[in-house]
Amino acid sequence: MLPLLSLILVSLAVGTVATFFAGTRARYVALAVSAVFLAEVGLLFLSYPGWPGYNGALVPGFAESESYPWIHLSWMQINYTVGVDGISLVFILLTAVLQLATVVYSWTEDRRPAAYFGLVLLTCFGCFGVFVALDVLLFFLFWEAVLVPMFFLIGFWGGPRRRYAALKFFVYTHVASIVMLVGLLALVFYSGASSFDFSAIYASARTLAAVPQTFLFVALFFGFGVKFPIVPFHTWLPDAHVEAPTGASVLLAGLLLKLGGYGLIRWAVEVLPSGFHNAQPLLYAVAFLSIIWGSVLSLSQRDLKRLVAYSSINHMGIVLLAIALDSSLGLLAAVFLMFAHGVVSGLMFMVSGSVHHTFGTRDIPNVGGITPTTPALSTMIMVGSLASLGLPALIGFPAEFSAFLATWNALGYWVFIPLGILVVTAAFYLWMMQRVLFGPARGIPGDARDVPWYEGAGMGILVAFTVLFGVLPGLLVNVIASSPVKGFPGT
Amino acid sequence: MDLQSFAGPFVPEIVLLAATLLVFLLDVVRVRDNEIVGAVALGSVVLALLLVLADLGFAPLAVLATVPSSSIDASVTGAPLYSFTSLGLVFQGLFLLAALLVCLASLSRPKDERGAPIFYGLLLLATLGMVLVAIASDLIFLLLAIELVSVPTYLLVAYSRRDARALEAAMKFYIIGALSTTLSFFGASLLYGAYGTTNLHALATAEAAAGTAGYPVLVLLGYGFLIAGLAFKATLVPFHAWAVDVYDGAPTDVTAFLAGGSKKVGLFAFFLVFLAPILFVRTMASGSPFVTGSVAVGPVLQITLAFLAVVTMTLGNVLALLQKEMKRMLAYSSISQAGYMLIGIAVGTAPALAGATLQILAHVLMKTGAFLVVGAVAALGVGPLIDDYKGLGQKRPLLGVAFGLMLLSLAGVPLTVGFVSKFVLFSAAVQAKGYFVWLAVAGLLNSALSVFYYARVLKVLFFDVAEPRALATGAVVGGSEPEILPVGGLGYGRAAAIALVAVVVVVLGVYPQPVLGAIQNAAQHFVNLGG
Repeated sequence: MLPLLSLILVSLAVGTVATFFAGTRARYVALAVSAVFLAEVGLLFLSYPGWPGYNGALVPGFAESESYPWIHLSWMQINYTVGVDGISLVFILLTAVLQLATVVYSWTEDRRPAAYFGLVLLTCFGCFGVFVALDVLLFFLFWEAVLVPMFFLIGFWGGPRRRYAALKFFVYTHVASIVMLVGLLALVFYSGASSFDFSAIYASARTLAAVPQTFLFVALFFGFGVKFPIVPFHTWLPDAHVEAPTGASVLLAGLLLKLGGYGLIRWAVEVLPSGFHNAQPLLYAVAFLSIIWGSVLSLSQRDLKRLVAYSSINHMGIVLLAIALDSSLGLLAAVFLMFAHGVVSGLMFMVSGSVHHTFGTRDIPNVGGITPTTPALSTMIMVGSLASLGLPALIGFPAEFSAFLATWNALGYWVFIPLGILVVTAAFYLWMMQRVLFGPARGIPGDARDVPWYEGAGMGILVAFTVLFGVLPGLLVNVIASSPVKGFPGT
Repeated sequence: MDLQSFAGPFVPEIVLLAATLLVFLLDVVRVRDNEIVGAVALGSVVLALLLVLADLGFAPLAVLATVPSSSIDASVTGAPLYSFTSLGLVFQGLFLLAALLVCLASLSRPKDERGAPIFYGLLLLATLGMVLVAIASDLIFLLLAIELVSVPTYLLVAYSRRDARALEAAMKFYIIGALSTTLSFFGASLLYGAYGTTNLHALATAEAAAGTAGYPVLVLLGYGFLIAGLAFKATLVPFHAWAVDVYDGAPTDVTAFLAGGSKKVGLFAFFLVFLAPILFVRTMASGSPFVTGSVAVGPVLQITLAFLAVVTMTLGNVLALLQKEMKRMLAYSSISQAGYMLIGIAVGTAPALAGATLQILAHVLMKTGAFLVVGAVAALGVGPLIDDYKGLGQKRPLLGVAFGLMLLSLAGVPLTVGFVSKFVLFSAAVQAKGYFVWLAVAGLLNSALSVFYYARVLKVLFFDVAEPRALATGAVVGGSEPEILPVGGLGYGRAAAIALVAVVVVVLGVYPQPVLGAIQNAAQHFVNLGG
């Protein structure tokens, strides 16, 4: 069998290096790399057993897995092991889509373009690695490898307080990864797993007693949670987002936050069932706190980008809630929701970037009635906001609907907390759109033009996926549900 | 006829000694050209390194092997002064690597600089001492070999004889060094009083046979003095205070050798002296330090060393955070790194020793490399403050990237050797379970703390804009115009040394198996012998 995953990793790595050395032609190289990456991911989907178009038998377990010895000592067996299941495949698709959209959107980046596009590709390379890694070392390695390019993206191309933001981002997420690493190492050594492979850990960790499982789960939850980000460890996020350049914001919200959710599902929830069960109250508390606090903060912002950043905390809180439910529908909803949020928040960050370019400000009260001047941008704002609110036929609807359905099934009336918040948020968004898009014209510079083609194209890619999976959610649901996770039909 | 029957197992040592004499002889006949003398020194170090690699069983060099493989890791009979262990050979390789990097970089120093033969001669002599430390199996032999390292390094710090700060540093270094030597020898004499031998294997056997029955105070005091004496060499808190001033005051190439090379001598001495008692107690059923009537030295030592490790890395990191000067920051970071290495000895299992050894290898590369960069940057006319490095990464991207890689490796960021070594070391601590898991947590928290100051330097290097005066002030040292060197002012030798470090840091970070496997085997043999 073709080692497809390694091929993708190698082609991405080569493409990234080539971009770094491409000088002023970097954007063309980056575009080619992104297009090839998307094509390869398409190939991966077609060969995946859970894909509706696949005409083979439905095989449970990880597909496309490869394993080669890496570090073999008498007490430590580390392999290079990669593989995908439905859950990781969805995130890989997200990575490819956001990479392409970001590269297109940032087409005219003129401050050190080679380094900029190289770092963008490097971030996506790291995220792809996290989603395919099936052994502790490789996973941790890619996990940390995402940090460095993002640190530089924020620190060099960012806004006025970029240095502070970059440092804060780096330190917060690095401390969290350390806790996660100790958790993962303890997982290996206390469970007596025969190697650092996911399969070995999965087989042995589930047999641990409930108390050590709980300790391990809480350590891992903290490690993954800071990336989520969970309240009260969320303060790096608004700083990082507001200072980051638009492209980095898109990757940060669209991909980096998803690493936390993916890690929690793969390495903690699946592996430590009793620990997960014991920690459920903690997860609920943190989830509700994040949902409420994120939306309160979000609604009190004047800055469009800050608003989107804080709404991410709210959305990821719903994801955490869906994971905490411990039901197959909840898990499905969590993964779908993360994909939806990745696409939609990417779109919203691009929108706020374009608003900033066009009108010189992101302050909502200072701009109004922009539709006659910038019809395309206004359309994007509408699509993004409505998808974020969960309008049917856009991607947010199936995601949020299934999340709330799962919450209702498991918790009953508690669902009205996130639901009520959603209603308030919807009202706020509609009011915001009414003022900004349709009210009397305010604060529009005389030379304001509609978005340039590349920004439009970048957003257009994301709009296309928003609509595609909004209308045909089954395409994703089938893939997710074929994962070898308890309760899915694929098992 | 092969080398082995010609000169016995000591060919590497003989090569170094001959080169030392040759260098001093060149001084006498007034051949003082930096490049010629440097080439002699470099050639001898490279040759010795190849010989050691051959002894380690590196197949392509098998012809050069000088130590019969049957006598490596052989069980010790009698009370020999020296014995060959594969871990000792690994350390010989590490020491020679540090010397190699410094020699290579020093080739690029100004051609007419005074004292080149003295510099290289002392460097080779110290290297000879380090290589001897690695094969010691007797306390007196070990301490004398350490002296052979110390005396030339005192002189090295002051070899230029013009810089008042260097002279002060040398004095400080000498006084503290003499004190530490006294303490170590006193400790050794107490142990001799308790057991009637100074041979390390005989000590271990005697302890195994008699415990400390009768002389617990004597034995504990003896080990206590040894810890204090050797901790000076290894720059462990609270015996670290000299290191920062000396590293700061010494010429930067010498600092690179001190921090990257000679301080590891103290750490390997810790391996030799303290591992046997720790291992011995591991084999006893009881973990309690106080067994009927006598004191088991092992657990006491373990707790002491673990405590020293935590204090050293924490204090080193906190103080590094507060520094404004690049050299002092690197010096404190070097102190904190010694704490990580000590974890390996405190845990005392073969995996932990392997982790500590890899950490030492990583540190040889990173710290020598970092100080070489600092020397290069100073030669370019940049000031000593961290803030003076503003914009360096943009003005000199390659140098900036190389320095950045070393800093990332020091911080333990993946795909660098610094990450692999910490990963193995902390994994080994978690694997040993018990309170060692907390050692791993302390180590990891410390490496998180260290990220602050490394990231700050990265920020200064790549994000900050250079102030106009920073790079404009001329590099006028000693009143003469700086020589214009090739490769952007660094010179070929220095550029090659820095590039070599940067490449090895990444290669070992990606695929450590060949080196790590060899180290793991060596550590396993070492533990088997000691137990």
